Amino acid sequence: MSGREFFTNRYEKLGWKYQDIKLRQSIRTNASPPRKADAVKRLQLLGVKLEKIPFLQNGNWVKEARFSVGATSEYLLGLYSVQEAAAQIPATLFTDIRDKTVLDACAAPGGKTVQLADLMQNTGVIIALDIKKERLRALANQLERCHVCNAIVYEMDARQAARLNVKFDRILLDVPCSGNFAIDANWFRQRTIEDAERNAKLQREILKETTAVLKNDGEIVYSTCSLEPEEDELNIDWATKNLNLKVENIDCYGEEGLTDIFGKKLDASVRNCRRIWPGQTQGFFICKLKKQVDAS
Amino acid sequence: MKLMMDFISRFDSTFHFDEKFVVEEGNRFFLLNANLKKLAMEGFFYAGTYLGKVKKDRFFPSFPLLSMMAEGKANKMIVDKKTEWLFICGRDVFKQGITKVVGSKKKGAYTLIINQHGECLGFGRITVDLDETKRGVAVRNISDIGDFLRREKAR
Repeated sequence: MSGREFFTNRYEKLGWKYQDIKLRQSIRTNASPPRKADAVKRLQLLGVKLEKIPFLQNGNWVKEARFSVGATSEYLLGLYSVQEAAAQIPATLFTDIRDKTVLDACAAPGGKTVQLADLMQNTGVIIALDIKKERLRALANQLERCHVCNAIVYEMDARQAARLNVKFDRILLDVPCSGNFAIDANWFRQRTIEDAERNAKLQREILKETTAVLKNDGEIVYSTCSLEPEEDELNIDWATKNLNLKVENIDCYGEEGLTDIFGKKLDASVRNCRRIWPGQTQGFFICKLKKQVDAS
Repeated sequence: MKLMMDFISRFDSTFHFDEKFVVEEGNRFFLLNANLKKLAMEGFFYAGTYLGKVKKDRFFPSFPLLSMMAEGKANKMIVDKKTEWLFICGRDVFKQGITKVVGSKKKGAYTLIINQHGECLGFGRITVDLDETKRGVAVRNISDIGDFLRREKAR
């Protein structure tokens, strides 16, 4: 089961009418000391027209630029990163992240790892994992470029996080997913529902294994750039019923999570998730989970 | 470690760090803080601040290391905006683009290249005695931050 019609029909049943999307490039400025430089002002002096993204503290859309914003000295000096708008949301949802021990379980290519370090002002520790060496090189490049100094990176599958022998205060699960058509022109041709189901299974395994290394009362932020409910609301519904995790209310861009998926009723708390249909940003799904104190 | 310290001393730099927090992983060096050192397991891919690597008995510094050196006393050359752009594109520094020199002006000396905002762009080696020349190439580019893009393209 695949193809444009199959998927757009599904989206319509979930309450969204398909439309073509032209994504705008966006950047995120790195704000933490010792970065005193005002990256936005400097880009504007170079003739780059920016528009503040209303739902992000450090995000700007690039309205006009006569050159690549990924090749300026300001970029190379790590004053900002090129990062899609919706992808900038997950790292901002943690509470009290400074001085914490944080797991970035599927970290490469590292945009969110850099953002976490920035939000933590390079305090505490981030342990970043990914399974592909080539992607780890990209991650290491980002960390070096942005002068991140509180991260440890391992070539490791997130499902083996217990090998670290560390209990985490916060875990970012930007899990591998099926993606969406807004960021991949060939998406409808290449993806099948079986891909989404396979990814959903892997995502549940990652959720299970990383919840085991989360401290009681600790937080997980789970995100995908998939629009398929198997990877989103259905997985979170499963997590609330099987992993003693509670869905926390979050205040961010996006619509409420769906609690009726093709007739299947989900736990009411799944409404606290945020589903972002493509439009101003790519398609995205985000939620924040808290480990119950009485969990084993 | 010795190769790294020799490299730093070539810039008449006063930069130093506590060696007990420097960890060697393969041919690469990382500066960790106490928290990281406690948690870092053998075989990590990256940790703390990357300092550089040794290859064929030569030390190749990271850009964070050069930036840390630039914060203290070291040979430095401040360049104008146009020269900054050319330098990060891999070009040498012309005398006309230098707005200020701190430290050695002698031929053969190593110097950090700094932009108008005080940010380190890389380093090079002075090719002529700077007091004796008005135009032409003054510093040969050895390494610049444009390398981040070159690495991406190489992948």
